[in-house]
Amino acid sequence: MNPDHHSSLNPSSSLKSRFTKTFLRSLIKINKQRPFPYCPREIFQRCHRVKTAADKSLARAAGSRRVWSRAMLCKIRNRSLRRGCQQRPSVRRIIIGYQTTKKGYCLQKKMSDDQEVGTDQASKLRKLVPGGEAMDLCSLLDEAAHYIKCLNTQVQVMRRIADIHSS
Amino acid sequence: MNRALLPEMLHSTDMTVLERQRARFKWQQEQQQQQQQQSFFGDLSGVFQLQQQHQGFQGDLGEVVTRSVKPDPSLMDNGWSDLVGFGPCGYGNYNGSGFDVNCAISSTSSCPPAVVAPATNAKVLAEGREPVLSEKLNSGVARECLKKRKVDKVQNSTKVVAEDDSRGKRIKGCPEDGESKNTQKNNKSSSTSKNSNKENSAETSKDNSKVTEVQKPDYIHVRARRGQATDSHSLAERVRREKISERMKYLQDLVPGCNKITGKAGMLDEIINYVQSLQRQVEFLSMKLAAVNPRLDFNVDNLFAKEAFPAWATNFPASGMSSDMTNRAYLQFNQVQQQQQQQLVTCCGLDVGINPPDMGLRRTISSPRSIPEMFLDSSCFTHIQPSSTWDADLQNLYNVAFEQGTIEASNLLKMEM
Repeated sequence: MNPDHHSSLNPSSSLKSRFTKTFLRSLIKINKQRPFPYCPREIFQRCHRVKTAADKSLARAAGSRRVWSRAMLCKIRNRSLRRGCQQRPSVRRIIIGYQTTKKGYCLQKKMSDDQEVGTDQASKLRKLVPGGEAMDLCSLLDEAAHYIKCLNTQVQVMRRIADIHSS
Repeated sequence: MNRALLPEMLHSTDMTVLERQRARFKWQQEQQQQQQQQSFFGDLSGVFQLQQQHQGFQGDLGEVVTRSVKPDPSLMDNGWSDLVGFGPCGYGNYNGSGFDVNCAISSTSSCPPAVVAPATNAKVLAEGREPVLSEKLNSGVARECLKKRKVDKVQNSTKVVAEDDSRGKRIKGCPEDGESKNTQKNNKSSSTSKNSNKENSAETSKDNSKVTEVQKPDYIHVRARRGQATDSHSLAERVRREKISERMKYLQDLVPGCNKITGKAGMLDEIINYVQSLQRQVEFLSMKLAAVNPRLDFNVDNLFAKEAFPAWATNFPASGMSSDMTNRAYLQFNQVQQQQQQQLVTCCGLDVGINPPDMGLRRTISSPRSIPEMFLDSSCFTHIQPSSTWDADLQNLYNVAFEQGTIEASNLLKMEM
């Protein structure tokens, strides 16, 4: 237990600590920027902001070596871009196109192999895991494993924060 | 000088008779050759610090390599310093002609004196002497050294024992390790080479052994198993299938409750459900946080972090354990959803405050009773909070969100059954 304790005190060491730091900072920022919402619409907005902050800090904590973290960051950036400048939707398309064409040929090649596993399931998994659209099954499973691990961490941390705040 | 130093070395280390003979033989070989490799001296001393083999030349190369890489000063004083003291020529010989020596000796004895070769190879190859090395290495032992060099570099202390069985028939490069999911680059061009048995045994240890990337040839040698097609396409296909099955096994460990499911399709279903449930949890928790946050003092986040970390350390001591908790929570969640929603509500109604479940959670991680409450308290939230300060609108909001979650979860359950 002690080594874990020490490692968690070092902020840059583990995924959990990195995520927590970033997430807490963004939560503080959200709290400072907006007053406490009293109507459902504001609550929705705030919830969306919190969720975005959580995803963003998770992707940052996971590092840019993973396809899913990069894809998630791109998606968030595109969304903010789109919201920021509504008159330029082409930005998003260009960025997404770049992402998919990089490994698009891979997908073409492996399309036939998916049938042995079940194409609909694989496609479902692709939709769930960010950035999974343009990956072969092998790396998709790899990314899914890492994504599940990070999601677990995220849920733990958020639950803990919520428990602390609610008590 | 030979005789003076050699017995010293032999007596200082705990070497078996065979090893002593081997060392003596090597000694004689080195004394004959006078190649000077001065530049590697410093490297080798560092290498020998890396490769601290307490018993000197072990019978098992794998064990040799998998010894701890921590330097052993006592050993340094006893055994290896004598070797160092043999003089630069000794090292030089180790380096240059040592390879020949190793090969020669390896051909005579099964136990590789190429034990030293990894030590030398580790740094030597790093300097780019691979072409020379590859020319000189003509035995499977030496090929193993190639691999072990990489193991050394990666500072992997896991056992590569499985590969030791097939020392003599080692595949050039590391096909099995290349197949491991850790490898990022696999330029597969399958060609038949070596043992299928070793492939199997190595695959079982694949999860343990880290990647040892093939330096010289960037392709994997695969052998067709007995009674199977030798077509290159089918070989590649088989390699790919094995990779996928290995990753599915890893996912099986991650996702809770997948031990009984054997098929790929069922596993994928489980994985999809689990990912969906995790994402839903994140959404729900973010909504909870959005609603709760402003009430609390957020002034010092560093202080909060420091205070929270010890609590985390106690509450989530190991990721495995915490994931286990989450897993149990996930299962409990499913079971809970089986009940009527009204029952849920009544259960929540009994939990007057959120504090008791929280305290229970903090005290004992493995108490299953508190875990469903963890999920239930979010539903409690909708019923308790409004009584204190919340708007009716907020309450409706939470109800809607929670009901959506329950509906989806019940669908999930129906799918499972």
